[in-house]
Amino acid sequence: MKPLSLILLLFVLFVLPVVVLVLSSLAPGWRFPNVWPEAFSLRAVTYLVQHKDPTLIALGSSFLFSLLTVLTTLVMCLLPASVFARKAFSGKTLLEGLLLTPALVPPMTFAMGLHFLFIQWSLADTLIGVVLVLAVFSYPYMFRALVAGFQTLGGDYRACARNLGARPLRILLAVELPLLLPAVIAGGSVVFLVAFSEYFLVFLIGGGNVPSFTGQLVPLLSSSDRSLASILTLIFLFLPVALFVILDTTLVRAYRKRGMI
Amino acid sequence: MNGTKTLLKLCPLLVPYAALFCGGVFLTVGQSFGWMTPVPYDGGRFEAYAGLLSSPSFYASFLFSLQVGAVSAFFAVTVGTLLAYGVWKLPVRLQTTALVYKIPLILPHIAVAFVVMLLWSRSGILASLAHSVGWIDTLREFPNVLYSGWGLGMILAYALKGTPFVMLLVMALLVHFDPRQIQTARMLGASKARVFFRIVLPRVAPAMHTAFIILFLYSFGAFDIPFVLGESRPGMLSLHVYNLYFKRDLARRPEAMAILVIMFCFAAFFIMAYSGIVRRLESSERKV
Repeated sequence: MKPLSLILLLFVLFVLPVVVLVLSSLAPGWRFPNVWPEAFSLRAVTYLVQHKDPTLIALGSSFLFSLLTVLTTLVMCLLPASVFARKAFSGKTLLEGLLLTPALVPPMTFAMGLHFLFIQWSLADTLIGVVLVLAVFSYPYMFRALVAGFQTLGGDYRACARNLGARPLRILLAVELPLLLPAVIAGGSVVFLVAFSEYFLVFLIGGGNVPSFTGQLVPLLSSSDRSLASILTLIFLFLPVALFVILDTTLVRAYRKRGMI
Repeated sequence: MNGTKTLLKLCPLLVPYAALFCGGVFLTVGQSFGWMTPVPYDGGRFEAYAGLLSSPSFYASFLFSLQVGAVSAFFAVTVGTLLAYGVWKLPVRLQTTALVYKIPLILPHIAVAFVVMLLWSRSGILASLAHSVGWIDTLREFPNVLYSGWGLGMILAYALKGTPFVMLLVMALLVHFDPRQIQTARMLGASKARVFFRIVLPRVAPAMHTAFIILFLYSFGAFDIPFVLGESRPGMLSLHVYNLYFKRDLARRPEAMAILVIMFCFAAFFIMAYSGIVRRLESSERKV
C-alpha cells in the first residue's frame, strides 16, 4: 500500500470518529439526512458550563480513584516484581500465569462474588472498595511493566549501592524506584486508563455513592440529544492525553536537571 | 530462610490476590450452589446449573457471546497486524502522523460504543451519506446494523477498540526487526505476500496470539459495550447476569452466579487450550 493511502486509511478509521464527535457536540440539531450539520450552536456547551457541578465532581472522583488505583497497584507489585525479575524458584511460571489471570477472565466473575464480601466488610459503596476492585482487575499491567523494568535495570546498581552500605529498603526507594520510573509510568498509564474508563465495576462496587465520569456519561448515551454525550466523550479523550503530555514533559525535564539523559 | 524471604516479598501481591481475586471467585462459586446467598435458598445444590444447561436460551446466549468475541478479535488481530506492518514500513517522517491510531486506546469502551452508534445507526452519519449519494431514500432502507441479531454493532465497537491494541503489541515486536531480512528475501526473489507470510508473520505471531486471547475473552465476557449497544435476543451472557443480579428476584442469585462460573471455567479452559496448541505448533515448526 502506498504510504499516503495508508495514512488516509488510519485517519478514516481513527480520526474521523473524533471529527464526528466535534461536529455533533457543536450541532445539537444534527439529524438524518444531513451529512453536514445545518446549523451550529453552543447550546450544549453552555448547558454543560451552567450545570458544571455534577460533571466536575464526577471527573474529580474518577481522577481520584484512578490515581489511587495506580498507587495501590504500584505498592502491590513493586517487591514481587523484583523477585520475579531476579530469582528462580520452583513453580515460578505457573505462579506468573496465575497472577496474570485477573486481567484475562471476565471481571464480572470475581467482582460479583467480591461484592458480597465487600458488603460484609462494609467496603461496598466506598471509595476504598472501588479502588480495591479496580486494582485487582488492573494490577497485571503494572506487574508486567515492572518485571520488564527490573530485568532491563539488571543487578549492577543494586550491588553498587549495597557495597556502599545501603539497606535493602533504601536501595529500593532511593536507587531503583527512580530508575524504574519509565516502567512505572508505562504500567501506570495503562492502569490509569483501565480504571478511568471502567463503567461496570465502579457502578457495581461504588453503587452510585462513588461518582464516576463513565457513570455520568452512560445515561446521556441513549438520550436523543447527542451533543452532551459527544462533549463528555471528547473530554474523555483529551484529559488523559493532557495528563500524559504533562507527565512526559515534567519527567524529561526532571531527568535533564539531574543529568540522567 | 531464603525461601521464606522470597515468600515474604511476594506477599503484597499474593495476599490481595488470594483474598480479593480467589475470594471473589470462591464466593461466586459458593453462591452458585446456594451457599451464602442474600436470601436463604431452598433449591438443590446443582439446581441453578441444571436449569441453565437445560435451557436453550442459555446455549443461544453462550454461542452469541462466543461469536461476538471470536469475530471481533479475529478482525482486530488481522487488521491490526496488517496496519502495524504498514506503519512500520512508513517513511520516518510519516510515522509521527500514524500515531493517531492510539485514539481509540484512550477512549473508554462506552465511548467507542457511542461512536459506533453515531456512525452506524439508521439515523446516523453513514445512513445520511448513503442518502446523499442516492443509495437509499428513507431511513428504513439503511441496513439495520445495530439491531441485526448478529451483534454487528458490538463487533464493530470491539474491533475498533481492539485494532489499535493489536497494533501496539505487534509494533513493539517489529521495533527490533531488521528490515534487511526483508530486503534479502526480496532480492532472492520472494514475492511481497511470501515475505509477509514467511518472514514477518512468524516474527509477530506471539503478539498476535496474546492479543487474540486478551481481546476474545474480553469481548466474550465484558459488560460495558453490550450495555450500550446490546441486542436483547439472544443477548450477551454478561447482560443476562446483570439482569438476573439487579433486576430479578434475589432468589435467582444462584442462577446469575452459575452463569459466571461457567464463563470463568470457559475462560480458564480457553487460555490453557489456546496456549497449549500454540506451544505444540511452535515446537513442531522448529523440528522442520
